[in-house]
Amino acid sequence: MRKFIMRRLFFSIFVLIGVSLIVFLIIYLAPGDPAQLILGDTATPEQIAQKRAELGLDQPMWKQYLIYIFGVLQGDLGTSLYYNMPCSTIILPMLWNTVILSFSSMLLALLIAIPLGVIAGTRPGSFSDFAATTFSMFGQACSSVWLGLALILIFSVKLGWLPAYGDISLSTLIMPSITLGTPMAALLVRIVRAGMIDTLSEDYILAARAKGEPEFRIVMRYAMKNVMLPVITIVGLNFGAFLGGAVVTEQIFSWNGVGRLMVSSIYSRDYPMVQSCLLLSSFLFVMVTLIVDILYTWVDPRVRLDSGRRKRKIRSMLNNSDVSKQELTVEKGA
Amino acid sequence: MKFTLLLKKMLLSKFFVMGTAGVILITGLCLFYDVLLPFDPTLADYSVMLQNPDWFANGLNGHILGTDALGRDILTRLLKGGTYSLKLAFISVGVAAVIGCILGTFAGYYGKWLDMLIMRIADVQLTIPSLMLAIALVAILGPNEKNLIIVLIISGWAKFARIIRGNVMALRDSEFISASRVLGASDLWIMFKQIFPNVLTPTIIFASQQLGYVILVEASLSYLGLGIQPPNPSWGVMIANGRDYLQTAPWIVLAPGFTLSLAVLSFNFLGDGIRDVLDPKMK
Repeated sequence: MRKFIMRRLFFSIFVLIGVSLIVFLIIYLAPGDPAQLILGDTATPEQIAQKRAELGLDQPMWKQYLIYIFGVLQGDLGTSLYYNMPCSTIILPMLWNTVILSFSSMLLALLIAIPLGVIAGTRPGSFSDFAATTFSMFGQACSSVWLGLALILIFSVKLGWLPAYGDISLSTLIMPSITLGTPMAALLVRIVRAGMIDTLSEDYILAARAKGEPEFRIVMRYAMKNVMLPVITIVGLNFGAFLGGAVVTEQIFSWNGVGRLMVSSIYSRDYPMVQSCLLLSSFLFVMVTLIVDILYTWVDPRVRLDSGRRKRKIRSMLNNSDVSKQELTVEKGA
Repeated sequence: MKFTLLLKKMLLSKFFVMGTAGVILITGLCLFYDVLLPFDPTLADYSVMLQNPDWFANGLNGHILGTDALGRDILTRLLKGGTYSLKLAFISVGVAAVIGCILGTFAGYYGKWLDMLIMRIADVQLTIPSLMLAIALVAILGPNEKNLIIVLIISGWAKFARIIRGNVMALRDSEFISASRVLGASDLWIMFKQIFPNVLTPTIIFASQQLGYVILVEASLSYLGLGIQPPNPSWGVMIANGRDYLQTAPWIVLAPGFTLSLAVLSFNFLGDGIRDVLDPKMK
């Protein structure tokens, strides 16, 4: 198990280095001279040259990247052109807000999806199955863009129950979480339902039934554990889509998160900030994936014994289930 | 004989029938909006600002879904916006599929360092949340239709490459490939004449599922002001425009919203339907 975690850790570090390179290249290749941007149109060529030297822009590309990456490792994400402050001081509180929004949406998605999926999966073909499947199909086709506005229209404008925006509190968290969580919940209903149908036809469930175990106990205790495995995988895989969806959701509800910061930084041409937003979001995604993988070893004892078998197990589960592996990696909820 | 069997399967799949009907309906309406409706999608008409939808009270000459703040007919803009969404979706998914197929086939067939190189690039790229990557790229390239297509291709190819590679790897060591090799077939011939037809099915299935997703991404980008630029209509732009009139004229947001969901739903159905028809095992 330690070997497995070490390998995952190594892979995460590799991926993060790759991400930093891509993020660096995007900004490096961006048109427009940052020195010119800072100094404005009135600057003389000498002033610009001096500023360029100050920012290290006269160095060759590989050297600039090394300077950048060593800065990042020491917690220096660069200086924001717009705020004229270190990016990290501005971005970290916003990152926290995004984390709060993401996790509450994820929690909401799980709270909706697991009961619905279990009800649908234990009674395939029934009316409740039909209702859950319909929710799943429509939810996946819903865009945060208009779902958010529709919620504001109903709950803020018409009913006046919830504030459309404001400081972070439980009441301001509800609508953004529904907006961001619905597509995810829709996807998870499908996974839980398919997993339930699959697992309930296994021999060990038959054995439990033959023993006369109550059905509720069979579902919640024996089947649930196996159903949770793909659910955890999906949650991990789609966390990136979540952060992407958060950009739109934060914009709609004026939620001060990384996504909103990124969009406003784009409008103000604050490239170091855009860079930091991309980097930190990817970092968050990698961390969540890593945590999910470690969580896996805890939920599934087979992984602790043999990490290779885990992948085969998931693959075979996915091949037999309603949802193909391809779909699982499709990022829903943009 | 084979065709009639395929047709039978198509008609048997509820998803396929509904999806195809939806896609054909939406595509048809979008393509022929200027024949059906008398209005101009970008021309402001201040005499009819923020009019309520009058459904079919005045036939096709009335403002069926109302007008927006500049007096432009919502339905006309909706259908014109649809042409952008559909065009972007088809082109970008098509090109991303081709690039992903080629790279994925090479990676899966040759393995070793080429596989390492291509798949690690794909891994890294898939780690950056794709909508955020798209936003950053559009911001840097500049928001216009051509760049939007480029960005959607860049953020789409990696998923195709991953899927194709897995399928190719599974086939690479099968007996019929070894037989071809023994008979002296070149690598390229094996890859594209023998392996590719076998991985075409998962590619088509994934591409059709990807169409709905790309439409959603385009709408998100346009909503944020980084996609199709006003006054050109796009579903995302229309939703953004309607934001300020949520209280007085909710139809400005709701009409493109419903259309967007309907379009994505149709494409998702089509994707599931194609899967049912081509590869029932995958279910």
